[in-house]
Amino acid sequence: MNLIFLTILLPLAAGLLTLAVPGRWRGVREALLLLATLAGLVSALLFYKTTLTVNLPWVGFGLELSFRLYQFSAFIVLAVAVFSFLVALYSCWSMAGRPSAGQFFAYLLLTVAFTNGAVLADNLILFLFFGEALLLTIFGMIIIGRPGAWRTAVKAFIIVGAADLCLMFGVILTGKLAGTFAMSQINLPLGGPASLAFIFMMIGALAKSGSMPFHTWIPDAALDAPLPFMALLPAALEKLLGIYFLARLTLDLFQLRPESWLSTLLMVIGALTIVLAVMMALIQKDYKKLLSYHAISQVGYMILGIGTAVPVGIVGGLFHLLNNAMYKSCLFLSGGSVEEQAGTTDLTRLGGLFSKMPVTGACFVVAALSISGVPPFNGFFSKELVYAGALERGWTFYAAALAGSFLTAASFLKLGHAVYFGRASGQDNPVKEAAWPALLPMIVIAGGCVLFGVYNALPLHAIEPVLGARLAHSFAGGPENWWLVLATAVVIGLALANHFYGVKRSGKAAGASDHIHYAPGLAPVYDLAEKKYFDPYDLGLKLAGALAQFLYWCDRAIDWLYESLAVGLAAAFSGLLRWCHSGNLSNYAVWALAGAAAVIYYIIR
Amino acid sequence: MITMAILLVAMALAALWTVTANLYLRATIALALTSVILTVIMFRLGAPTAAVFELSVCAGLISVIFISVISLTHRLTLQEFLSRRQNRFARFRYLPPLLIAAALAMYFARQPLGVSLPWRETVTDARSVMWDLRRFDLFGQVMVLLAGVFGVVTLFRGAKNRDGR
Amino acid sequence: MIYLFIFIPFLALIVINLLPQGEGEFAGWAALAVFSAQLAAAALAACGLIGLGGGWLDQLLHFRLLSDRTGLLLLFLAGLVGGTALLSGWRLRGASRSNFINLLLIALTGINGLALASDLFSLYVFIEVVAVSSFVLIALFRERSGLEGSFKYLMMSALASVLMLSAVACFLVAADGMSFAAVRAALAVPGNYLARAALGLFLCGLFIKGGLVPFHGWLPDAYMSAPAPVSVFLAGIATKAAGLFTLVRLVRLAPASADLSAVLLLVGTLSIVVGALAALGQRDMKRMLAYSSISQMGYIVAALGTGSALGNAAALFHFFNHAVLKSQLFVNAAAVEEQTGTRDMDRLGGLAARLPVTGTTSVIAILSTAGLPPLSGFWSKLLIVIALWTAGHQFYAAIALLASGLTLAYFLSLQRRVFFGRLRPELENVKEAGAALLLPALGLSALTVGVGLVFPFILGMFIK
Repeated sequence: MNLIFLTILLPLAAGLLTLAVPGRWRGVREALLLLATLAGLVSALLFYKTTLTVNLPWVGFGLELSFRLYQFSAFIVLAVAVFSFLVALYSCWSMAGRPSAGQFFAYLLLTVAFTNGAVLADNLILFLFFGEALLLTIFGMIIIGRPGAWRTAVKAFIIVGAADLCLMFGVILTGKLAGTFAMSQINLPLGGPASLAFIFMMIGALAKSGSMPFHTWIPDAALDAPLPFMALLPAALEKLLGIYFLARLTLDLFQLRPESWLSTLLMVIGALTIVLAVMMALIQKDYKKLLSYHAISQVGYMILGIGTAVPVGIVGGLFHLLNNAMYKSCLFLSGGSVEEQAGTTDLTRLGGLFSKMPVTGACFVVAALSISGVPPFNGFFSKELVYAGALERGWTFYAAALAGSFLTAASFLKLGHAVYFGRASGQDNPVKEAAWPALLPMIVIAGGCVLFGVYNALPLHAIEPVLGARLAHSFAGGPENWWLVLATAVVIGLALANHFYGVKRSGKAAGASDHIHYAPGLAPVYDLAEKKYFDPYDLGLKLAGALAQFLYWCDRAIDWLYESLAVGLAAAFSGLLRWCHSGNLSNYAVWALAGAAAVIYYIIR
Repeated sequence: MITMAILLVAMALAALWTVTANLYLRATIALALTSVILTVIMFRLGAPTAAVFELSVCAGLISVIFISVISLTHRLTLQEFLSRRQNRFARFRYLPPLLIAAALAMYFARQPLGVSLPWRETVTDARSVMWDLRRFDLFGQVMVLLAGVFGVVTLFRGAKNRDGR
Repeated sequence: MIYLFIFIPFLALIVINLLPQGEGEFAGWAALAVFSAQLAAAALAACGLIGLGGGWLDQLLHFRLLSDRTGLLLLFLAGLVGGTALLSGWRLRGASRSNFINLLLIALTGINGLALASDLFSLYVFIEVVAVSSFVLIALFRERSGLEGSFKYLMMSALASVLMLSAVACFLVAADGMSFAAVRAALAVPGNYLARAALGLFLCGLFIKGGLVPFHGWLPDAYMSAPAPVSVFLAGIATKAAGLFTLVRLVRLAPASADLSAVLLLVGTLSIVVGALAALGQRDMKRMLAYSSISQMGYIVAALGTGSALGNAAALFHFFNHAVLKSQLFVNAAAVEEQTGTRDMDRLGGLAARLPVTGTTSVIAILSTAGLPPLSGFWSKLLIVIALWTAGHQFYAAIALLASGLTLAYFLSLQRRVFFGRLRPELENVKEAGAALLLPALGLSALTVGVGLVFPFILGMFIK
C-alpha cells in the first residue's frame, strides 16, 4: 500500500518542493526533477508484476480513498514513469535558462503525480478528482509558454473543463445506476440511462485524449506552450490517461458489444478523427503544428481500435497507444531540438539538417517510419492489428484507416524531406547537433520503436492480459492477414509516388502537398479550416459573443428597470410618504380613526 | 326615551363647546357641565355608584384642579385672543367628514348591530368589585398614579428656575 | 416566585427614593441589579430551573397571574432591553438621572404586569402604566421636540384608550367578565357581534399603541425626539410590549377566522411596505430606525395573521429578534449621536474608522434585520415567509420577501452614509463611545450571532 501512495505522493512532494526552491540555487531543481522521475521509474519497475488494492474510508457516501494496482494500471504507470523520466531529462536541457523553468518542472512533477493517481484510482470520484487536477497543470504549463499564451491556456481549460463536466455527470449517473463508485465493482449492461452515462463519460475520455471534436486546443498549444509540454502531455500523458479510461469504460465499466450502436459511434469518431486531422496535418508548414495534428490523428486509430470491441482491435488500439506515445514523443523532441538549434520550425526556411544533426535526423527517420506504418517498426504492427479489427466491422472503417495511413506517410515524407534533406534555404548560421540530454531520450525512444517492432511479443504480452478471457490467442509475431500487409505496402508506395509528384510540381520539398492543398474543391475548405471556421471552440466563442451582446442589452434594460424605474418609484413613494407625514397630529388621528372604522366594520361585517 | 335623547344631545353639545371654547376657563366650565349631564344619564340608567363617582371626581375635583392651575397662568393679550378666536374652528376641519363617515358606517353596520344586547343583572357591589376581583388592576392603578407623580416631578420641578420666574 | 417580577421593581423604586440620593450612583447600580436579576430569572424559569408558582402570596393577594412561556419571553426581553437602556443612559447626571431610573423602573413594572396579566382590563391598565411613564420619559429633557413628540404620543394614546375602554365596555356586556377565559368563551360563540366589535375596537387600540400603519403617526416623532437612552427603551421594548405583545395575547383569544386574519395580514403588510418605503427617504438616523421599526412590526403582525402555530412561533421569534436588533441599532445611534453631536446622515460618513466597535455591531444588526443567514433575523423571517406560504397567503409571502430587499436597501444606505465612505474632515477627532454603550452593543451582537447559530434552542425555550 505504501508503494501506491509513493507513486503519487513522491512526485507531488517533489513538485511542491521544486516550487519552493529559489531559482538562485542552480541545479537543485533539475536534480530534484530527475531524482523524482527516476525514483518513479524504479518503483514502477519494481512493482510492475504485483497486484495491490488499497481501501481507506474517506468522506463517505461511496467516496473512498481506494486505489487498485493491477496489470493494466501497472502497465500505464510504467509507461508514464518512462516517458516522464525521458521528458524530464530533455526538459533539463531545453528549459535551461528560462525564467519559467522552475514552474515547468513543478507542473511536470505534479502532472505525473495526478496521472498516476488517476490511473491507480479505483473510485470514479477519485478518478474525477485527479482528472480535474490535471486540468490545472495543463493550464499552468501552457500559460508559462510565451506572453500571449493565456489565450490558448483558457481555450484548453474551457474545452477540457467542459468535457470534464460531462465526465462528472457521467460519473454521477453511473454511480447512481451501479449503486457504487468503486470501478472494479461496476459492470453495467448498456442501454437506456446507462448508454447516456457511457456517452457522457466517453466525452470526458475523448476530450482527455484530444480526439475530434475536442482537439482544437492542441495545435494552438503546440505553438504556444513550452516544447517538452507537447512531448509530455497531449502526445503522451493525456492520451495515456484518456485512452486508458476509454479502455476501462469499454472493457470493465460497461459491456460494450461489437454490434451495439455505441461501438459504431466510437468507430465513426475514430475514423473521422484519423482522416480529418491528417488532412489538416498534410498542409501544415510548421514542424510543431504538423506534428500536433498527427497527435490528434493517431488518437483516431486508438479510438477506432477500441471502438471495434473485438479483441484484435482493442489490443491494436492499446498497442498503438503505447507506440504512439513513443514515436510522438520522439518526433516532438526532435522538433524541439531543431527549433532550439536552427531557431525556427518553419518548413520553408529549413532544410538539409541531416548532415548537421545526424543523430536527431536518424531518430526522426525511425520515428517517422514507425508512424507511417512501415515494417518492421512498431507502428506497423499496431496499425495492422487495428486494420484487422476495423475490417471485421466493415470495410468503410478500414478504408478510412488506410486513407489516414496514406496521408500520414505523405505528410511525413514532406516533413522529412523539407527539414532534413533537400537543400538548406537561407540557412547561413552554423547549426550544430543538440546536447546529450536532448539526444539520449530520442535515442532511447527510437531504439524502443525498433525493439517493440521486431520483438513485439514484449509489449503485447503485457497488454493482452487486460482482455482476460476474451482473448483467444496471442497476436504477437507477424501479421496474420498478409493481404492487409500488401495493401499497406501499396499505400506507402502510393504516398511515395504522390510525394515526388508534389515536389516536382511545386519545385520544393515543403510544397509537396500543395497540389492537394490547392486542389479544386479542397482549397476553399482548407481555407475555412485554417481560419478556424470549423473550430467548435471558435464557433462557440462567436456564438457566445453574440449572446453576450444580446444579454448585454437585456442587462441594460433590466439595469434601467432597477436603477431608474425601481429606484425612481421607491424615491417617489418615499417622497410621497414624507409629504404625508407632515407632523400634523390631526392628520395622524384621522388616519387612525379611519383605519379603526374600517377594521371594526370589516370584523363585525 | 325622548328625555334620554335630549340629554345625549345636550351632552354632545356641551362636549363640543368644551373643545371649541377659546378660553381655558370656559372650557373647564363646559367640561363640568358635560360631566353633570353624564351623571344624570348614569342615574337614569340605574348606576348610582358610577354617577356619584362621576359627579364628585370629574365634575368636582377635576374642575377645581383645572381652575387652580388656570389661575396660575397669565391672561391672554388681546391679539392672542383674537387670533385664537379666528382659528378656533380650523382644527375641526376633519369633523364633518368624520361625522358623515361615522353615520354611513353606522348605517351599513345597522344590520349586524341590530341584535338585542344581552342584559345582565349585576348585583355585585362596586366595593367588592374593586377590592376583591380587581386587586391586580388596583396595583396597576397605583403604578399609573406613581408614574403621574414622577411625571409631574420630572416635568414641572425646577421649571420656574429655568424660565427665570 | 412569580410575584417577585412585579414587586421587586416596585420595591426597588421605593428603596431608591427613600435612601439619600447622592450622585445617583447607587440608584443606577441598584436598577441594573434589578434588570439583570429579571433577565437571569426569566432565563432560568424558561429552562425550568425555577418554579413559577405563586405560593402563599397567591392565597393572600389573588392576583390571578398568568405564567406561560410567552410571558417569560417578554420578561426576559424587558430585563435585557431595560438594562441596555439603563447602561446607555449611564452618563445622565443629576435630576434627569434619578428621574430616568425611577420612570424606567415604573415602566418595567408595567411591562412585567403586561406579561403576567390574565385579564383584558388588567392588560389595559398596565398598557397605561407603560404609556404614562413613556410620555414622561420622552419629554425627559423638557426640550421642545421632546415635548412635541410626547404630546403626539399622548394624544394618540388617548384615542387608543377610548377605543380600548369602549372595547372593555362592550366585553362587559357581551362576555361574562374580562378574564381571558371569559373573553375567549364569548368570542367562540358564533353571532356574538358585540364581542366581535369589542375585539375590533381593542385591536385598533393596540394598533395605535404599537404604531402599525395607518395608526402609526405618533411613532416616528416620538422615537426621534426622545433622548437616546429613552428611544432604546421605547423602541426596544416599551411600545412592543404595549402594542404587540398584547396583540399576541388578544389574537390568541379569538378563534381563527378569515376576517381577523385578513385584517392582520393587511395591516401587517401595509406596515411592512409603508415603513420600508418611508425609511428609504429619511435623513435622520433615528427617524429611519423608527420607520424600520414600523416595517419590522408589520412582519410580526402579518405572521400572527396566519393563525397557524408556525405563524405564532415565527411572530414571537421575530418579536425577540426585533427587540434585540432594534435596541442594538438605537444604542449604536446613541453612540454616534453622543460622539459626533448629530444624527443627520448627510453630515456623517466614514465613522467605521473612528467607531470600529459601533460600526461592526451595526453591520451585524443590519444584516440580521435584513434577514441574512446565519444571523438570527434570517431564521425568524424565513419562518414568517414559510408560515405565510403554507397558510395559503402566497401573495403576502411574496411581499414579505420583496420588502426584505427594501430593508436591506435602506439599511445599507444607512450603513454607507454613516459608517462607510470617506471620513469627513470635521469628524477627524471623533473617538469610540464609552464602555457603557459598547458593552450592551457587544452583548446584543453576540446574542444576535449566537441565537442565529442555536435558534432551535431559543425557539424551544420561549416559544414552543
